[in-house]
Amino acid sequence: MREVLANLIAEKAEEDSNFIVLSGDHGYALFDPIRKRRPSQFVNVGVCEQLAVSLSAGLAKMKFRPLVYGLSSFIPLRVVEHIKLDVCFQSLPVVFLGDGAGLVYSTLGASHQSGEDLAALGALPNLRIYSPSDRYELAISFKEAFTESTPAYIRIGKSDRAACHTSELSSTNPHTIVHSDNRRKLLIATGSLLSPVSQMAKKRNLHCISVPRLRPISKSFVQEILKFEEIFIFEEHSSHGGLCTFITNAIISAGERLPLIHHFSLKSIFTKLAGSYQFALSEHDLSDAQLDNRLSEILDAPRSTQAASHLPHDSLKNDSAEFLK
Amino acid sequence: MKELNPKKLRKTILDFAYYGQSVHIPSAFSIVEILSTLYSKILTYSHQDPASEKRDFFILSKGHGVMALYACFIELGWLNETDIKNYFHDGSRLRGLAEADIPGLEVSGGSLGHGLPVATGMALGLKKREDARKIICLVGDGEMNEGGIWEALLFAAHHKLDNLLVIVDANQFQAMGRVEEILSLESLPDKFRSFGFDVLECDGHESSAIENSIQKLFSKNKKPKALIARTLKGKGVSFIEGQNAWHYTRLTKETYEAAGKELSLA
Repeated sequence: MREVLANLIAEKAEEDSNFIVLSGDHGYALFDPIRKRRPSQFVNVGVCEQLAVSLSAGLAKMKFRPLVYGLSSFIPLRVVEHIKLDVCFQSLPVVFLGDGAGLVYSTLGASHQSGEDLAALGALPNLRIYSPSDRYELAISFKEAFTESTPAYIRIGKSDRAACHTSELSSTNPHTIVHSDNRRKLLIATGSLLSPVSQMAKKRNLHCISVPRLRPISKSFVQEILKFEEIFIFEEHSSHGGLCTFITNAIISAGERLPLIHHFSLKSIFTKLAGSYQFALSEHDLSDAQLDNRLSEILDAPRSTQAASHLPHDSLKNDSAEFLK
Repeated sequence: MKELNPKKLRKTILDFAYYGQSVHIPSAFSIVEILSTLYSKILTYSHQDPASEKRDFFILSKGHGVMALYACFIELGWLNETDIKNYFHDGSRLRGLAEADIPGLEVSGGSLGHGLPVATGMALGLKKREDARKIICLVGDGEMNEGGIWEALLFAAHHKLDNLLVIVDANQFQAMGRVEEILSLESLPDKFRSFGFDVLECDGHESSAIENSIQKLFSKNKKPKALIARTLKGKGVSFIEGQNAWHYTRLTKETYEAAGKELSLA
């Protein structure tokens, strides 16, 4: 996926002389092709992420098409206010690319791990948001982000997961990865978790959809989701503000009733220990093996028959100190 | 270019502040001569179209002084008397801080430390296009607390953005008191020089000194430029000058009339 990204960047530079890449001293070999083929269209601004965002706004006002690159802990998380005011307020056509999202940097700790970037951006007006899972989704997300005239964020997580597509895509609309005639249960995933989730879906003959574009979400996708009784949502992001939030907000906006949803996401904790990527995921119960076990437990469990109407009317009076996470 | 009269601009600022019951009057008063000189002598622009493709770019990074820029826009015909009378009324278009959706305002400057970095990106863009137009950005001395300002200065010097002029409204005050007491900045000229700027200082209320300094700075190449404009916060009205409480004070009928009378006599 990184090699594809490096070539996408270099090819875009050759295709469009207004294209310009700003990096806050991150990326290293990723930029070898553009630096070799179009050196004047790459600027390492230094370790100055907020400056990179503001410079991009100034360049966009001068009719350039900037790509601002950084690790997602920094672009966008560190510089959200600059994205809001300098770029989104005027809806300038700047594309932000947040690399290493989620727990990719499993050995480097909280500074480089990023489970909050989507939540930080989700409330900003005018911003499109992409979360490609493989090189095919990355290519179409990249292309679409630069076709549109509004700001966009592309989130890239673990880049060496197995590809779920086999050929080029024509849109960033949700794609069916595994088709099943079982219309009761639907698995929805984005980014790095699509690969293990698609395997789980195949194994159980469950319908599985990938969502490379998180914002905006179409009405037709909402209607497709509502054909199912039980939804399983997977993302390597906080439970707040990511794929699940975008989907449930879309259903609420459509005036529809929410289906039963099981959400597999990062816990609201910082990882405590160093280790492999799978180890870091395991602290959040999201390793490939844990995902598989957790899904089985839900699918195999007898369905609760207790309806909300059976709860006491004054349940708030008996509120305890037990909080949901 | 139209000759803008500082006294008239201050009277218009008073009108905006009175009709809108706005604060931040001293921030606007301290930059009146800087703005009148820029729009009278320095900037290329079109009276008919604030977004003209041939314009130079002026960026008000210290967005709190926006009433001074609105007063200029009244003179240039980009705003009208109704904008004054309706200032801050329900549904009116002008906000109390610089926002970039108003024709003539290039960048939102309400959050400090944004205007100069964006202006620096604009200067880089013009350089890359070999476009000879100027970028002039006005920052406040208090605003220079912001780290983003210094990132932009580093970048502008490293990339030799000699089409960029930073003017500092050195009025010695920031929101809660004197700059020297809160976060000392001096020597400002030395700081700019050490970053690689060509630097001049002048009396920020002497139009001819401002004009001469800017012309001299733009006669040199290879370095970005800085003009330290020494100003008086609240300049023009005796009971507002140097009184930091006026950063937060609204005009009453009595103070509005007293201030107007002083400006008429000046």
